[in-house]
Amino acid sequence: MTAGARSTAVTPAPGGAGRAAARAAVPVAGLLALVVLLVAFDPIGAITDAPPVEELAVERTVLTDGEIELRVRNDGPDPVTVAQVIVNDAYWAHTVSDRTLTRLDTATVRVPYPWEEGLPLHIRMVSSTGATFDHEIDVATGTPERDGRSLGVYALLGLAIGVVPVALGLLWLPSLRRVSARWIAVALAFTVGLLAFLLVDTVDEGLELAGATGEALGGLELFAVGALVVIVVLLAVESATLRRSASGAAGEVRASGLSLAYLVAVGIGLHNLGEGLAVGAASARGAVALGTALVVGFAVHNLTEGLAIAAPLSEHGPGGGVSAGHLAGLVAVAGLPTVPGAWLGAYAFSPAWAALAFGVAAGAIAQVLWVVGRHLLATPDGRSGAAAAGFVVALVVMYVTGLAVV
Amino acid sequence: MSATGPLAPDPGRRRFLRRLGMAGAAVGGAAAVGPAALGGASTRSSRRRDLARGHVPGHPAHQGHDGQSGMGTVGQVDHARNGFDPHAMLTDFDGGTTSRDRSGRTVREYAIVAAPKEIEVAPGVFFPAWAYNGRVPGPTIRATAGDRIRITFTNGSAHPHTIHFHGIHPAAMDGVPGAGEVHPGERFVYDFVAEPFGTHLYHCHSLPLANHIHRGLYGAFIVDPPGGRPPANEMVMVMNAFDTDFDGENEIYAANTVAFAYMDRPITMRRGELQRVHVVNITEFDPINSIHLHANFFDLYRTGTSLEPHEFTDTISMGQAERHMIEFRYDTPGRFMFHAHQSEFVELGWMGFFEVEE
Repeated sequence: MTAGARSTAVTPAPGGAGRAAARAAVPVAGLLALVVLLVAFDPIGAITDAPPVEELAVERTVLTDGEIELRVRNDGPDPVTVAQVIVNDAYWAHTVSDRTLTRLDTATVRVPYPWEEGLPLHIRMVSSTGATFDHEIDVATGTPERDGRSLGVYALLGLAIGVVPVALGLLWLPSLRRVSARWIAVALAFTVGLLAFLLVDTVDEGLELAGATGEALGGLELFAVGALVVIVVLLAVESATLRRSASGAAGEVRASGLSLAYLVAVGIGLHNLGEGLAVGAASARGAVALGTALVVGFAVHNLTEGLAIAAPLSEHGPGGGVSAGHLAGLVAVAGLPTVPGAWLGAYAFSPAWAALAFGVAAGAIAQVLWVVGRHLLATPDGRSGAAAAGFVVALVVMYVTGLAVV
Repeated sequence: MSATGPLAPDPGRRRFLRRLGMAGAAVGGAAAVGPAALGGASTRSSRRRDLARGHVPGHPAHQGHDGQSGMGTVGQVDHARNGFDPHAMLTDFDGGTTSRDRSGRTVREYAIVAAPKEIEVAPGVFFPAWAYNGRVPGPTIRATAGDRIRITFTNGSAHPHTIHFHGIHPAAMDGVPGAGEVHPGERFVYDFVAEPFGTHLYHCHSLPLANHIHRGLYGAFIVDPPGGRPPANEMVMVMNAFDTDFDGENEIYAANTVAFAYMDRPITMRRGELQRVHVVNITEFDPINSIHLHANFFDLYRTGTSLEPHEFTDTISMGQAERHMIEFRYDTPGRFMFHAHQSEFVELGWMGFFEVEE
């Protein structure tokens, strides 16, 4: 067969599919051509001749004896070359793992410097074009080392503010089981109120972190993506579980108390992951001595989270048993994430990841709020004045106990 | 320049302080009022005792000036690429092309071009300077009082420029907008008699003034007394500074442009030899600059306009365009520091060493 023959030898049936594929490839090919043309001729550059836009974000600061270490990222569009480092208005000897950073590259800047405990540090990096990038450390304090002892301390911190209060709150379950359906609705309304409060709190923190994230990484987008993905995933999980448990019962699709409790625990757990992150990061930055008051505040605050998990379970009534294993599981799901949260915050804090984590938490809480709220409204006493009062009381209690920490 | 300055704050810490709210109200102000405010923090006390004793967590920082530890910049400036060397500029006096006019007066002719030039002001840090004859500071113009100076000035840049001399001359030769300002691509001849003798300077006087000066359009103008001065090793140090990020504050301070140039490579001199340094301050954005010599005193000739010293001191401060002539000798060999006595300027580049040899 000649080359010319091959090019035209298209049998009708596969040729149809081939043509369709070829047609589908046209936009992609067109786009490629556009990119090639833009890169080759740079028409925008020809009319603007804009100077480079240099940006550099400090993602992590580590202070050890006699050394300042910064992890920096180029989060601007153009390359940045770190030429010199100024510490407290003095040029200082230093090393940079890679002085020239292209977009999104990271590098480690190490400055041997006799920094002083408790005093501020002003670090300024000067680029090859003379642009400056400032990083302020308000109160210098040693970054905790990743040894067994500090891991243990942060684990204890996480347990104290996450696991213990949730477990204690769950101890209200026997009392809740003896009350009437009307009061159970109040307790559920309390749960809804708590979740609403946590949602606002999480969104607030998440947006603040998103604002602190470098532009290129898009803190707000990370936060929103985290939230939306979790909402969709949880919706899918929920509808799958409910379909299975409803097993064809027409119309009346209602979650069991236990699955509701688990949903609430997941929402609270993800919130507590973020809470651990914030506390770990903060205490690693030098205010750990003030942590005791803080931990007490969190414990009081989070006690109500246990109550919120207990409320859906109380619908099983005095006889409806929830095994000890499930209770432990609920505590673990809701409280334990505080521990890895505290570790991450203390040792690997970065605003971008934190914004994503808070997005995930916000999405989870929003979704759980929706499920529990729907469940509450479906119960006979769900729309009673007492239930409304329970909702309001939750907001007030969260606000008041939160005064100690929020 | 296009830097977007402030970096991400530490959200965790800020958040934490906010969380502390009522309990930790004092912490936020701790930085402002110093370590005493942190007294409540028990885990800090041991470190704070160390602080009180003068111990710092770091190792000794000021280990010398090898550029690899302690204060200073990292790397080397490519002087060849710059086209000028701070060491060569110390003693690079330009007498021009000399001839005599009909009256027998010495005529010194110069050709000076102003043009933009990117210069390396600290290792790896480049500044978009405007330069006279490709160097910052511009050529050191040297004449004897009474000489006629003829400078053919060409503007090779996109902005109007002048050369405004500090000295005594006719209004038409003043080098200001309206009298000797040269537009892009044009030229002008400044023609005047060098008066009075002393240590002077010249600079661009086009507007906006601060920008035209701090971009590098300045230089020393030395007028010798008719009878000359005793023989000495003569040097010129123009104290300048660079606002590399264009925020109205300088990032680099130096004598003769390059930060720490004389720290990384000391100025050598012979023991007992008379040193005469013409020190000119052209620093923009800071009201004063100064020079201080270690382990020695100098004779100060204010503005260099006297044959007798005005003062015997070791530190002299100058506002912008103030300049003095100082004379000294080192009688023992060794390495002696000299620098501005604004400590901030020192650590941002304006310090160096004299290496006194046998």
